[in-house]
Amino acid sequence: MSRLDRIVESMARGVARRSSRRHFLGSLGALLCGAAVMPLLPVARGAPAPAAGPAGADPGDPGSCDYWRHCAIDGFLCSCCGGNTHSCPPGTEPSAITWVGTCHNPGDGHDYIVSYNDCCGKASCGRCLCNRNENDKPLYMPFASNDYNWCAGSQSGIAYNCSTARIVGRAR
Amino acid sequence: MRAELPAEPSTSESLPPAGPHWVWVNDVNFFSMPDGQAFLIDADAGRMLGMVSTGYSFNSVVLPKAAAGVIYSPEAYYSRGTRGTRTDVVTLYDTAHLKPVGEIQIPPKRASVMPMSAAAGLTDDQRFLLIYNFTPSQSVTVVDTRSRRFVGEIETPGCGLVYPTGARSFFSICGDGALLNVTLTEEGKAAARERTAVMFDGARDPLTEKGIRLGDTWYFVSFEGTVYPLRATAHGVELGRKWPLATQAERAQGWRSGGLQHLAVHRASGRLYAIMHRGGPYTHKDPGTDVWVYELASHKRVQQISTRHKAGSIAVSQDDQPLLYTCFIESNVLDIYDAQTGRFLRSVEGVGQTPTIMVTP
Repeated sequence: MSRLDRIVESMARGVARRSSRRHFLGSLGALLCGAAVMPLLPVARGAPAPAAGPAGADPGDPGSCDYWRHCAIDGFLCSCCGGNTHSCPPGTEPSAITWVGTCHNPGDGHDYIVSYNDCCGKASCGRCLCNRNENDKPLYMPFASNDYNWCAGSQSGIAYNCSTARIVGRAR
Repeated sequence: MRAELPAEPSTSESLPPAGPHWVWVNDVNFFSMPDGQAFLIDADAGRMLGMVSTGYSFNSVVLPKAAAGVIYSPEAYYSRGTRGTRTDVVTLYDTAHLKPVGEIQIPPKRASVMPMSAAAGLTDDQRFLLIYNFTPSQSVTVVDTRSRRFVGEIETPGCGLVYPTGARSFFSICGDGALLNVTLTEEGKAAARERTAVMFDGARDPLTEKGIRLGDTWYFVSFEGTVYPLRATAHGVELGRKWPLATQAERAQGWRSGGLQHLAVHRASGRLYAIMHRGGPYTHKDPGTDVWVYELASHKRVQQISTRHKAGSIAVSQDDQPLLYTCFIESNVLDIYDAQTGRFLRSVEGVGQTPTIMVTP
């Protein structure tokens, strides 16, 4: 199965558990028809905990807006709010689906697909607000737009707390 | 001996009919999103007149013609503040007292987004209020303002936002660069939904979703600064002749338009106002300190205004002595200019916490 198929299937399975399958897949199909660029894809949560990479492979401060993974983020950095790049602060829930960016890692020279799952269920963390828009698209291209509150569709509802920046994989 | 000051009664102010230089400044209150707000400012006096308190992830008030006596506000609430049962409503506030005088319950699906003018809109005859939903399924809620009832929901798969084009029609923009033309029945149900041909290349140079309307034409600007006129005709929406905001030399210097509400129009003069800045690709949300003014009919640039503070949002009053308003989400200052001369007139400080988009009567 191609990488693209795996990402889409993983996302669709995650969403099907939470919402009307027919309803959502109808929208998804239409969205994908318009998505010509491979990295602009929705992704689901549920990835296994990552193993630490080699020293220097992930340079920078996850609490800084300048950190390489934040190239298309818009919101409060979870690393400043009791969470980290891939885990939500206590008592908040990662959004089921989200938007993704493609960011360049200066540590190893590779481009990565980064999923900006929002953490949901409490009011704004209010710390480390960061907005960067590399490859961001308008609201009519939802899965490439950082202007949605991706807590929509989560069990917790739309109370937005902060945003993570989780590596999904290499952009090839 | 000096006379004593008289004892005073405790009363509440009421407002006269809206003046042409009143402006609503909406605030999503990003640091405390359960507590959205909209502030009404008298720009001539540089004075705040009042406010409404508008709930979770607030977008903007919607202003019908003055005779309606009310304004509309699509809102969302949780029964326990940030949790519990979500209830979405359109709240009606009377224009004299800014008090909630009615409420129309709608499906709890209203899109929670960075505020955008196209997240809601009225049909041209003011009868139906259209509200963009994202759950993440995409649809439009239709509310009948006459009966003050929820009418129904129109699915818009793959397409988002609401751009009214007539008394019974609107379009949404689709992710592939086409539009979805929707016509309504007299009852506000979907009569027809048709996708147009592809109008722009969303992968290479997307249009910002922050279009403005003059008559039968919606004007959008692409990330790279090309104006796309989309005209509603009897046969649907057609793309007119495209033109650039900046000359080739200016584009080479990085001039482009950007912001949260980066375009405004003065309808009587047919003038387009655009926030401009110098930057690279993907600076489409960056604020600017320049507002360039164009005649839409001739595409001619007629004015360049330097702003006092960074501007992420602009609006223009619609009278014959128009004012230009600017604000920016990262400050809370409303700046006011003579829109014809560009002369700075005054600032109003302390308007909300994170002011987003503005609406004028």
